Parts: sequence; structure tokens; C-alpha cells
Amino acid sequence: MKVLRNYIKSLFLLEMFKGMRLTGSYLWRKKFTIRYPEERAPMSPRFRGLHALRRDENGEECCVGCKLCEATCPAMAITIETGPREDDGSRRTTRYDIDLFKCIFCGYCVEACPVDAIVETRICDYHFEERGENIMLKDELLAIGEENRDRINSDLSAQAKYR
Amino acid sequence: MTEDSMVTIEVDGQELKAKAGAMLIDVADQAGIDIPRFCYHNKLSVSANCRMCLIEVEKVPKPIPACATSVMDGMKVYTKSPMALAAQKGTMEFLLINHPLDCPVCDQGGECELQDQSLAYGSDVARFVEKKRLVPKKYIGPLVETNFNRCIHCTRCVRFSAEIAGMREMGSTGRGEYMKIGTYVERTIDSELSGNLIDICPVGSLTSKPYRYQARAWELTQSDSVAPHDAVGSNIHIHVRNNRVMRVHPKANEAVNECWISDRDRFSYEGLYSEDRLTSPMIKENGRWVETDWETALQQVADGLKEMGAGTGALLSPSATVEELYLAQKLVRSLGSDNIDFRVRQSDFRGGEPALPWLGLGIDEIEAVDAVLVIGANPRKDQPILGHRLRKAALNGASVCYLNPLEYDLNYHAEQLLSAPANMADDLAAVAKAVGATGAIIDDAEVKAQHQSVAEQLKQAGSALVLLGNLASAHPDYSILSALAAEVAKASGAKIGFIGEAANSTGARLVAAMPTDGLNAQSMLEQPCKGYLLLGLEPDRDFWNPTQAQTAFKQAEFVVALTAYRSASLEAAADVLLPMAGFAETSGTYVNGDGTWQSFAGAVQPMGEARPAWKILRVMGNLLDADGFDQNSSQDVLEQARNSADGRQLDNSVTADLGQERRLNGSGLTRIGDVPIYATDALVRRAPALQKTADAISAAIRINPGEAAKAGLADGDRATVIQEGNLATMPVEIDPGVAGGSVRVCAALAGSETLGGQFGEVTLEKA
Repeated sequence: MKVLRNYIKSLFLLEMFKGMRLTGSYLWRKKFTIRYPEERAPMSPRFRGLHALRRDENGEECCVGCKLCEATCPAMAITIETGPREDDGSRRTTRYDIDLFKCIFCGYCVEACPVDAIVETRICDYHFEERGENIMLKDELLAIGEENRDRINSDLSAQAKYR
Repeated sequence: MTEDSMVTIEVDGQELKAKAGAMLIDVADQAGIDIPRFCYHNKLSVSANCRMCLIEVEKVPKPIPACATSVMDGMKVYTKSPMALAAQKGTMEFLLINHPLDCPVCDQGGECELQDQSLAYGSDVARFVEKKRLVPKKYIGPLVETNFNRCIHCTRCVRFSAEIAGMREMGSTGRGEYMKIGTYVERTIDSELSGNLIDICPVGSLTSKPYRYQARAWELTQSDSVAPHDAVGSNIHIHVRNNRVMRVHPKANEAVNECWISDRDRFSYEGLYSEDRLTSPMIKENGRWVETDWETALQQVADGLKEMGAGTGALLSPSATVEELYLAQKLVRSLGSDNIDFRVRQSDFRGGEPALPWLGLGIDEIEAVDAVLVIGANPRKDQPILGHRLRKAALNGASVCYLNPLEYDLNYHAEQLLSAPANMADDLAAVAKAVGATGAIIDDAEVKAQHQSVAEQLKQAGSALVLLGNLASAHPDYSILSALAAEVAKASGAKIGFIGEAANSTGARLVAAMPTDGLNAQSMLEQPCKGYLLLGLEPDRDFWNPTQAQTAFKQAEFVVALTAYRSASLEAAADVLLPMAGFAETSGTYVNGDGTWQSFAGAVQPMGEARPAWKILRVMGNLLDADGFDQNSSQDVLEQARNSADGRQLDNSVTADLGQERRLNGSGLTRIGDVPIYATDALVRRAPALQKTADAISAAIRINPGEAAKAGLADGDRATVIQEGNLATMPVEIDPGVAGGSVRVCAALAGSETLGGQFGEVTLEKA
């Protein structure tokens, strides 16, 4: 008897119409997808995206080459070389590379930085076309910092109370 | 209570036995109980001014410093009691009041005693919100960087300068918050041990200048090694990052260097990265140098050496390792030649030397002798750690006498007999006569009060020592000097010691890197050989007579040089240059002055195509089809070298004839060609920071005022030195410390390579 009932049900596509009713009901509801990349989802100020090196208000690079980020990096993605800068003898990096293939975006480097020089920005979409582009050099990191200066600063102040 | 009696104390409930009078902190250290400290250092006097080692002692109402409290029987000590911890925490808070929070830019960060101890004993919040003190940094020389903002006034540097370096260069002025460490009048720190300031400073106040901002402590890998510059063989740690030597630190070894090393040992690593490092084999084709591969170069060398055969002369650096010297002598002997020598700075080979000269006693025994007579040597600059041991002896009450053609600036009291090179033998003979010796020159000697006083000191001493050094071994009458020294030692009951000139002078003799009946270093250049094998030597700097050496190499048919550097003089002399690994790049062994074999492993890979010299020599042996060149490691070579050295004993007995002809007759002016501290070997000569120090003197005519007046010269003039027809023009410096009848024209410096032997008759002409 049960077998016969199921047979008739499947013959009239009852289950499918039930499903289509649920699908159809969403056609008139408010959409919750967004049209990426024209539209963006809201992001936390603590979002951990592409790295940037900051400069201070005088245009001086913040990084003093203490190498704590390099030491703390669990993926060993950061390579730093330091030395006294020629003009004033201050401690500066002569090389600051981040290998984005190695980076796991854990944000430890940001936590370790005593001068808020390395930050992770909200940039989360980028691509590489050539091998080697995955290594972000110091100049590129500084340039990202300059381009997104205001956003980085506002994000830093937004999260300041939690740090 | 006698000094030797033992007492029982209790530290943190642990019962300890200790010598009465020992300091609590020492006793706790030996038992492995940690007490924090900044100002206490076991080699320096106790000042107890940092107050970090405050601990609680039962029945004492207040906490007391462990470094200045001697142990007493039945004492009960608590290092971790609430009172002790509160005292330490309070001290730490005070210390941090004026300490800047600049750890990220401080070179000490990561290896800082203040950092570690504030983590362990300090508080996590600072209550001090007022402004911190600012102290301007001072320039104290090219080796040590200062940042006195970070200073915590432990005064270790002040005590080090006064007690160890013996120069009282640093001091403190002001009190309380206004206390400052400095040199008072701005000047550089010129001690040959100044680099140790970097180690003893517990904070980042004194740091290394060449290493400034180069690396962090946690990035460095440490390997043990032995310093390659003098007969002490100081034990060192080499710190490496990315296959590059970043710095050198001392490794404590009480029997050799205690916990100190000389600046030469510490900063010479910079020479490894000199621009003229040879990184690939090179051959001379039609007068032009071309880079080639190892196979071609080695084949050419093998062909060349085969052709030279018994006409080959091997001149080896006394700074080469035992393994290198052993293989080199084996290689040359397999060619049928016995012309092998490492004594490139010696000119008198008339048999004055003992069979196997050595220091005569352990390096650590020097400080216990009662009287020392130092002949033709300046250990303070030539072997700084040995100089420090001599200073310790002098401070312990030993009487130290010097017999030299130069008066040295010593950091302890010593009687210095100033004697022109030609008169040194007469003065020494007079001392010998005064101690009661007899013999050819001795009987004719005229004993003066000064000789008598030296003799008295030697005779009265319980244990006396006669030392001969670098200037004596370079002296043209070395055999007479050493024979006289042996007479002095015999008659006064003193020990005789020979300070080897370089790191492996003793080792070279042990592996027979010298002729048995062939030509020695001097005759190899006087009667030029057909071909030469040079190991680690530079023709213009490393020979007793650079002109003679350069001429001999130019005349030779075939010269092969194993070298780490590509210098102009080598390019002029050699036909093939083989790049060998430098210091820290090769494994090896040095035998220091007191006969201690010290092996070390390589710390970094050799630069470029360079290879360890023992490997090059091994392959050369294979190409020449010689027997016994099948070693697979430097340990194999060492084992064979040790076996070959088995029959040879260190032996200081001198059998020279006193009646030999004197080569220096003292007519006219005699050149004193000493080798300055930072010109001793190729590595040091290329270390930029050392070359900026005050000890790195440049070539000049140094002459005493009397002789200058006779020659019509004044300070700052330029004059030409003429030695056996060879000329060199250099500035004149008036130096009252040069003996009359002589002129100091240093060897191994740029500008002196056109002159003749280190000692010899010269004339001066105003330029």
C-alpha cells in the first residue's frame, strides 16, 4: 500500500512542487547576496588582509627594524635585513620582504610590532601574474601603506582600545 | 678562622659547603641558585652598587647584597622570600626609571640582562610618568658604540678599564641622577682589550660598532672556534647568520683566555668580507690573470710542481692550521724537496733556537711567577691576552723587566732596559754576567746598576721566567740572544720561554713544517728556488725581507699561491692563485704557545669557489701521485699529523754557540722593523674597524729626538729611508721611546714593503 502511495506521489511531482514553492518564495524576498566586486560586504577594522608598512605624519617610515615580526612569524614569511641608515645612522631595514605564498595572515606580525609599522589592511583581493610577484618588497609595502593611509589610521584607532 | 676552612650555610633550604670568606653570590652560582645581578662580575672587584642581588639573611633586619656579603657559618639565606623579591622588584623599578624603552632599536635587545631580569623580577606596569634623563652619546673609538641613555651605572666598564685593561679610560662623574659614565675629556678608548666592554656591559650602553644593527641574537648560530692571530689561541664563539660571520665573542676558558679576547681576535672577522677576496682559481696567461676552474688550475699546478720537483721551495704561513701545514710539508717532501719553512719573519737560522720552542709553562701559570725578563717582545700588543697575564703577575707582585730596542707603554710597573738592536746582546750578556753565568760574550760584558737590578730580581724570585718574543726572533742575532737568554735562565734558575709569533708557530714545528737538511725560509729567498709554493702569505707584507722575497718570486719559474686574498704583490709574484678558505671557513687545529692542541670546525661555507686549504693540498697530492693523500676529512689529516708529531716533545733547551759572529755591529743607524698589532696577518690587515684604531699606525720614521737632531730631521718632515739600496719615503715622527742609534720603521705596513729586512743598517735623507 505504501509503495503504491509513493508511486502516485512521484508520478504527480508533488515533492518537486513543494521545493519549487520554497524557491519561488525567495524570488520576492529582499536579496542578501551582494554584487561583488561592485558591492562589498561590511568588514571589521581588524580584518587581516594584505600587509602594509606605515609612514608617520612626517613621512618617516615607522619601521625601526627590531625584527620582532620576523621572529614571531609562524610561517617564516618575513625576511628582514637591517643596518644604520647612511644619512642619520638610525636603525632601519635595508630589506623587508613578505612572501605572500607563505603568509597565513595570522596577524602575529601586527601584534608583535612595537611601533605599529606593519599592519594588515582590508585589501583581500589581489593576484599575481609572474612567479616572484608573491614576494612583497619594502617599497611595495610602503606604497600600500601610503595609498591606504587614512583607512589604516582609522582602523588603528578603532581597534586601539582592544590592544 | 683561616681562609681555607669550610663553612656550612643554607640557601633556600639547601645546605651548601663554602670556603669561609667567599661571597654569597659565588657560592649560590656554584650551586646553581640564581640571584639576579648587574654590577657583579666574577673577574672584577665588587662594587655592590646596582642593588639587584639583594637577598634576605636570617636575623638581618634588612635585605643585603649577595655580591658583597661573605658567607658565615650557619648563615640562612633566602633568595626568593617575600622580602628578597620585594627588594629586587623595587630595585628593578628604580633602574627602569631612567632606562629608555628603546629595546626595538637597541642592539642588546634579545640578549640583554636588564630585559631578562625585568621580565623575571620586575613589575609589568611603570609608575614613573615623568621625563626620563637624556645623556648625549660619546665617540669613544671605532670599535665600541655608546648610548649612555641606557646606562644603569653598574660601573662594570669603569672597573674593567681600570682592573683588566689597566688604562683607567672610563670613569663616572656626578652623583645620583646626574651620574654619567664617560672618558671625562673626550677621547677614544685605545686598549687592545676594549672590545670586552661590549660583553661586560649588561645593557645596550656599550655595543659593537661594526656589528651595529646587523642582526639579532636569536638569528645567530654559534660555533666554537679558536682565534687565529696569536700564540694564545683564545677560545671564541663565532656567530653566524645566513652563512656570514656576524661577530665573534669570547668563549670562557680559564686555562687560556679566561673570559676575555683581544680586539684583534674579536673584530678581525671583518677582513673575511674584504673586496679583494679571491673567489675562483686564477692562472696567469701571457701576463694577464684569467679566472679558470679548479681542474685546469690544479692540473697546471701539478704539472708545474712536477717540473720543479726537488727545486720547489715551500713557504708556509705560521697562521695556517696543523692539517694544512702537515699536508703541505708532506706534498713538498713527496716532490723530493726539503725546502719547507714557516719561519718567514726570522733571519738568523744559525741554530740558536731550541728543538721545539714553546712558552715553557702554561698560559695560566704566567700570573703566578715572581719575576719575568721579557727580551725583544711586547706581549701587550703582540699577544694581548698574554700581556694581560703578565700584568696580572705584575699586580700580584712579580717584578717584570723588559729588554727591548723600543720603550713600550705598559699598563703596569716594569723596568724597561732600552737598548739599540746592536746592543741588545751586550745588555743581555751583562745581565747574564750579573746572575753569574760565564761564556764568550758574557765575560767581556760591562755590568751596570740596571743589569745588576734585573739580575737580583731574577735570582731572588721563587719562580722566574725569561721570555723571548717576536722582536727577538726577527733579530739578526737571534741565536746569540737566545743562547744568552738560556744562560741567564740557567744561572738564575729561571724557566725559559719562547712566545710563538703566530697562532700555530708551535704546531708547525710539531708537524715538521721546517727543513731537516733543506733550505730554510731565509736561504730559500737568498738562493732563489726554481719554484715556490706559498700558503697564506703575502710577498710584500709577510716576509722578514719583503724586497728579497718579491725578487725571488719574480725570478722563479713557477709560483703557486694558496691564498684567501688577491693582492697586487701576489699577482706580481705568482703564476697560479688558488682560493683557499679563510678564518672560520675551514676546520682545523692550532697548537698554542703552551702546546695545547685546539681543534675547531668551520662555521661558514668558504666564499665563492674557495676551498679549505687541506682539501686543495690533498687533491694536489693525488694529482702528483704521491702516497698518503687519501684522507676523507680534516680529522683524518689531524690524526696522521698527531701520529707524525708523536716523537716530538716540546723542548726549550738551547745549545747555541755564544761565540758566533755578531751580524749587527751598531755602526750607523739600525732599523727596528717591528710588526704592529694590526698588521700581523692578511686577515687583520683587511679588517676596516681595526684599521681605524689608534694602534693601527701607518708607516713612518720613528726616531728619538737626539738622533733626529743628528740627522737634521724634525717632527712632520718627510724623509727617505735607504736600506741596502732600497728606498721608501715616509713622514718623520719624533718618539722618545726609540733607542738611540736606531730608527723604528715598522714592517708589514703599506709603504714599507720596498725596504729590506726587519733589522739592518739604514740611512736617512730628508726628502
